[in-house]
Amino acid sequence: MGSSMDEKVVAVIMVGGPTKGTRFRPLSLNIPKPLFPIAGQPMVHHPISACKRIPNLAQIYLVGFYEEREFALYVSAISNELKVPVRYLREDKPHGSAGGLYHFRNLIMEDDPSHIFLLNCDVCCSFPLPEMLEAHRKYGGIGTLLVIKVSPESASQFGELVADPVTNELLHYTEKPETFVSDRINCGVYVFTPDIFTAIREVSSQTKDTATLRRVSSVEALQPATRNSTDFVRLDQDILSPLAGKKQLYTYETKDFWEQIKSPGMSLRCSELYLSQFRLTSPQVLASGDGTKSAIVIGDVFIHPSAKVHPTAKIGPNVSISANARVGPGVRLISCIILDDVEIMENAVVTNAIVGWKSSIGRWSRVQACSSLKSLTFKCFCLVSLNNHEPGSILCRSQAEGVYNSKLGVTILGDSVAVEDEVVVISSIVLPNKTLNVSVQDEIIL
Amino acid sequence: MKALILVGGFGTRLRPLTLSFPKPLVDFANKPMILHQIEALKAVGVDEVVLAINYQPEVMLNFLKDFEAKLEIKITCSQETEPMGTAGPLALARDKLVDGSGEPFFVLNSDVISEYPLREMIEFHKAHGGEASIMVTKVDEPSKYGVVVMEETTGKVEKFVEKPKLYVGNKINAGIYLLNPSVLDKIELRPTSIEKETFPKIAAAQGLYAMVLPGFWMDIGQPKDYITGLRLYLDSLRKKSPGKLTTGAHIVGNVLVDETAKIGEGCLIGPDVAIGPGCVVESGVRLSRCTVMRGVRIKKHACVSSSIIGWHSTVGQWARIENMTILGEDVHVGDEIYTNGGVVLPHKEIKSNILKPEIVM
Repeated sequence: MGSSMDEKVVAVIMVGGPTKGTRFRPLSLNIPKPLFPIAGQPMVHHPISACKRIPNLAQIYLVGFYEEREFALYVSAISNELKVPVRYLREDKPHGSAGGLYHFRNLIMEDDPSHIFLLNCDVCCSFPLPEMLEAHRKYGGIGTLLVIKVSPESASQFGELVADPVTNELLHYTEKPETFVSDRINCGVYVFTPDIFTAIREVSSQTKDTATLRRVSSVEALQPATRNSTDFVRLDQDILSPLAGKKQLYTYETKDFWEQIKSPGMSLRCSELYLSQFRLTSPQVLASGDGTKSAIVIGDVFIHPSAKVHPTAKIGPNVSISANARVGPGVRLISCIILDDVEIMENAVVTNAIVGWKSSIGRWSRVQACSSLKSLTFKCFCLVSLNNHEPGSILCRSQAEGVYNSKLGVTILGDSVAVEDEVVVISSIVLPNKTLNVSVQDEIIL
Repeated sequence: MKALILVGGFGTRLRPLTLSFPKPLVDFANKPMILHQIEALKAVGVDEVVLAINYQPEVMLNFLKDFEAKLEIKITCSQETEPMGTAGPLALARDKLVDGSGEPFFVLNSDVISEYPLREMIEFHKAHGGEASIMVTKVDEPSKYGVVVMEETTGKVEKFVEKPKLYVGNKINAGIYLLNPSVLDKIELRPTSIEKETFPKIAAAQGLYAMVLPGFWMDIGQPKDYITGLRLYLDSLRKKSPGKLTTGAHIVGNVLVDETAKIGEGCLIGPDVAIGPGCVVESGVRLSRCTVMRGVRIKKHACVSSSIIGWHSTVGQWARIENMTILGEDVHVGDEIYTNGGVVLPHKEIKSNILKPEIVM
């Protein structure tokens, strides 16, 4: 079962859609989440450039619900740049993670690939795709999952699985269990042989025959029959769980980093991870400077070539500055993402924040996350919510623990937000087109 | 006659509603906000309305084609490339406002809702012969606004005081002006404020007169005032054209229901409720002091008060929505959920209670 030079490989990247990305607001109000810049490149760029390392890659498909025009420019630019055909396919209705793959099977099989990679766009990891492919060929199953070991407490947020320590076969799989099953979780990166389509078809024909005893809320019952239709097939519950233990699915464990980019705060964390990866794989991409001809740079920093940074500024660690941004004299930037056309004026400080396109940060102003830089831990969100708030002030509701997941952890300024001179913005989220002329803390400014 | 409506910017105070539509197109009493003004202008013989906008002109223009045809009035846009303040847009639209006839033109602020006694204003303007007339309205808390200090008998304006700390008068600028074309000569093509620069100049030359607005006035640029504004508007409708309001055993007080909306059995609707086109209100529902926008479904036994339910949303069975809850477009509140002042952005599902005022993104 050696590798054949003629065998082609196709990669499919699931990018989701607009109504699904509400956790990524307010950033997703202006741009589809997959195009949001992480470490200086659109989020989807990272899995795409990882795919480029797969031998004999014939085609990359992006599958999602966004309008075609939102991806048209990006797709043609990236096809040119990486010299590999990338195409965006729009799902007309929800088919589920496996159903979506099945829906486009004819296109995917056009190049007669021997293997198909399936990746989720919002996964941040080292994407060891060529190694996965090699392992998959050795195992001889119909699919191989990328898995990683996490802390037992956090495992229940994901798909937990059990693998045979010798053969690496997937023995058991369960999605978001209430009790502890395993500390190995599904990373959302898979490689399949074309037999996967047969497996999906079998599942959908089975659901036609079996009755589904599922309580449907009155709101759901009103929606046009989507979940109830037979071409809605979820990869985790409908394919992985049933096929586990049948010598069809295997696992490949990664010891590198892995995160999911579900909230704006996480994009900052993942930016940090990718920047540190650049340090190893392509250090020339990162910025450097010692304060003489260019600004002092500490740690891993990306500065777009068109951005202007004053030599008296101090940048880093973990800073990403996008095109045409201007950073003025004496500015201090730590752990932040500065998007296109932002202007940061003299002596301002920005830490643990995302500053949206065309925003301006006034002189001596301060934009930061939690009140204490040291408290950037899981406890941070709890501290924030226990603070006494004035009556009438609005508290944001968070979906998961941890400061990067907490909406009030990282400060986010939407596009065209103006922070006036000497104003302090702490742990707040500001929607686009607002001007802050008074300091704010722990607020959402609509 | 011509008119200019100052539409301006992003409508951020009316979010989350303005995340789905530009502010002038947000419905008020079952009609896009700006349509109220355009209809009032048409009624006094205005044949062309210019909208001074700086945001989303394409969305606006599409809607306006519809209104143009239905109302038989010409509607054009004057787009600001940079914010021009409250007077700059007039200079920008100069060519459209001056047609050589020497007739005065109206300027309206798009956030304002009132009875629009424009005919009376035309008479007032002719009578005093000055260059400019403005409407003023009496308010309880003048220091929130720009106060107009005027002679009580003639209405001649002495000066403007912006947000005065001490009491100087209780009449504020209502945002409705009738101006002679010569006023345009006094406005430079740059960002400039009509209250701070233009009007004080005209007042100093004894040419500015103020008329006290009869009837109600409200700046509905934010949700709290929007809900109060609906009450005032429906009250005025009761006096002027009570036939437009809905009546019935299940109706209390002033209620406006679009003819395409359906209301079930055993409901109690009102007071001060507006129900938009295509809405379905199932049986046993209680609605009071709220706006229900186009395409909303309110399921059985639910109770909604003092809130705004955005386009195409649903409210679940036995849900209770109150205290300035604002649901954006396509928000679905689950069965039996309670929301107290939740502000929910578009395309969300609410599956757990919101016990105190909160923004849900």
